[in-house]
Amino acid sequence: MHYVIIGNGVAGVTAAFALRKRDPHAEISVIGGESDYFISRTALMYAFMDRMNLRDLEPFERQSYTKQNITLLRGWVSALDASSRILRLADGRNLSYDKLLLATGSIPNPAPWPGLATAKSGLVNFVSLQHLAECERLAPTTRRAVVAGGGLIGVELVECLHHHGIQVDFLVRDAWYWPMALAPEEGELIADHIRHHGVNLLLGHEITEVKTDTNSRVSAVRTSQGGELPCQMLGACIGVRPAIEWLREVQTPPALGRGIKIQSDFRTSLPNVWAAGDCAELPTGQVEQIWYSAKRQGELAALSMLGDTVNYTPPLFFNSAKLFEIEYTTVGVRGAESFFRRLPGKNVSIRIMHDQGAVTGFNMLGSRWNHTWFEKWIHERRDLPYVLKNLHLAQFDVEFGRVSLSALGVAS
Amino acid sequence: MIKPGAAHALLHSIKNRGLAAWVLAALFTGFYLVLYFTEWFSPLAQAIGLGSKWTLYGTLYTLAVTAGGIHVIRKYRHNRYQVVRTIVVIVVQATFAYSIPMLLKFLHQPEYYLSYFWPLKLDYLTPSYIFSLPLPFIIYSFVGSLVLVPILAAFFGKRWYCSWVCGCGGLANTFGEPWRHLSDKSTTSWKIEKVTIYAVLGITVVLTALLFISYGAGKANPQLVRTTGEFQSYYGLIVSSLLSGVVGVGLYPLGGTRVWCRFACPMAALLGLVQKVGRYRITVKKDMCISCGMCSKYCEMGIDVRSYAQANQSFTRASCVGCGICSEVCPRGVLNLENVSSRDPQESKLIQIQEVAATRPLI
Repeated sequence: MHYVIIGNGVAGVTAAFALRKRDPHAEISVIGGESDYFISRTALMYAFMDRMNLRDLEPFERQSYTKQNITLLRGWVSALDASSRILRLADGRNLSYDKLLLATGSIPNPAPWPGLATAKSGLVNFVSLQHLAECERLAPTTRRAVVAGGGLIGVELVECLHHHGIQVDFLVRDAWYWPMALAPEEGELIADHIRHHGVNLLLGHEITEVKTDTNSRVSAVRTSQGGELPCQMLGACIGVRPAIEWLREVQTPPALGRGIKIQSDFRTSLPNVWAAGDCAELPTGQVEQIWYSAKRQGELAALSMLGDTVNYTPPLFFNSAKLFEIEYTTVGVRGAESFFRRLPGKNVSIRIMHDQGAVTGFNMLGSRWNHTWFEKWIHERRDLPYVLKNLHLAQFDVEFGRVSLSALGVAS
Repeated sequence: MIKPGAAHALLHSIKNRGLAAWVLAALFTGFYLVLYFTEWFSPLAQAIGLGSKWTLYGTLYTLAVTAGGIHVIRKYRHNRYQVVRTIVVIVVQATFAYSIPMLLKFLHQPEYYLSYFWPLKLDYLTPSYIFSLPLPFIIYSFVGSLVLVPILAAFFGKRWYCSWVCGCGGLANTFGEPWRHLSDKSTTSWKIEKVTIYAVLGITVVLTALLFISYGAGKANPQLVRTTGEFQSYYGLIVSSLLSGVVGVGLYPLGGTRVWCRFACPMAALLGLVQKVGRYRITVKKDMCISCGMCSKYCEMGIDVRSYAQANQSFTRASCVGCGICSEVCPRGVLNLENVSSRDPQESKLIQIQEVAATRPLI
């Protein structure tokens, strides 16, 4: 049995280890185009900020792969023939498989702005190691930068550039910061925090045109509000999408939508081919694109490949982030009503959403929480008074640093 | 990436094993060699009114802990654990390890360091020395070394000593802050550590036993006294001087700040064993790790914290000194230092949840 996995990101590598755990003898190969070894994409920002070396980004010691007898191949796959179960790499190598997992992840959405056609440099993304290298190449000659897009990658890039002493204009289309996740109060809290660091956060701004200098490097952007912002670097952090373009060119493409269409057991429309992680589109049409979902899907896809019955539906949503110094924990979904409190004068707030007597979700900023309790209460359909009474159980702040719930207005 | 500018490039070099780091390591090592094996510092010490080179050293040490400590408090001012811990470290150094011994000496009492215990300080259970002291010191040493220190470690982990009280740990966590990330995280170094640190502990225990035997039965056996004496002087040279001083601090800019604590300190070895069966642990929040590796990078003891965090595994490692920096640098608040009490019903509920998580498949 030869398992081949395309993609050495968290979904692919998690799947490889999960396969090995159950099948000690099979041949397992993982193909990666971006790097020789699995790296943690989430730590790119720390590499950019000099807090880690590239080698530190590898979550597993290199010897783990040899110990687990997992073959790592560097290269990009250019051809897939599902009828004869053969892959071809761009460098001409052929590889046959018995079972194949597509875990190709995401690529940045392309920047749509007029004027970019003449730009040869200065435009950056912040998703891959190659993007990191480009950012590091440009940063020393950059005094001002513009970053567009108010998601997590955007704020990470802003923090990195700011760390290197670059004046950043941070353009966000929405009326408040990150409306997909935050209500206006929290959005304002985060916006204040970002501005407090000296970053020029411009809400309700979009780029309408990109200008370049005589060397074809980005030199300024014009915004929807009519202003012009000089910059030597332009970060396009306007979301990611499944990395599936290459599959449109192959001999036997699987059914594609926004991503690779899969059934609830991670099988694609092709025989003996599975897909998992950011590149997979669930039967509901949903594409999950966070670290946690990729890890979870990789593990379950491996079980499906091993012959287990798998029926995946995304669990209760949870996520976390750090926006400059403010930590963010979220669980669940919005409700009709919400209980919001902010610690006066501090970047600490809690929001507990509820609907028809049952809590549905939590949005916590600036303090630490063990989300396992939140999940439990949502599953148990607890009401708000119960949750408030037990809220202290979920606190996860450092010793001596526990946030005072009574100061937050939660009587306990 | 290195920002342009000479100062930043120099700082980068110092913190990342560049040329400047090697030069600094040579200076530190040279300083300790001169301190331990020559009297060159004595005239200087007398000239500035500090009496002996050891008082000069103690003064420099206390200054380094205080200055580094202030830097650390500012750096981690948002983290109460770090602030409280660092204040305690500075205060303990300035009192128990500096001014109180000087005061004792001034009062014609033994120059006793209340913050040191056996087996870190072999003298304090060396019968010929300790029995020469007034009774309160004898009681303090025996009760402290054999009862108080291990019991506190069982309840709070070795951190109460190694990163709240101990001078070696104090210097590492203050003055040594810029180099904490240099510790080796490989499995190989973990294997080496387990051999060397328990070997030193074994040697220390054997030597202590010999010292007691030769103290009790020495008159009948002068050969034993001679051999034990030689053993003791080699121990003093290799373990106390070379390993804890010259290597321990000399290698800060190259091997990180806890080389001595991790590979050789008999006290750390002993408390680590207590810690393994005690209440202290690092709790890992289920499924929230993003494998970024900041925890491992900044672990001064070279523990690959990430390997536990990404496997949803709460853990207690013998070497963990509980500095709390893994928890501080974690961008997703996944890690927390805890003294788990099985008698606390709220805690035990949480443990159940965590244990369910820990039985899930790997990574």
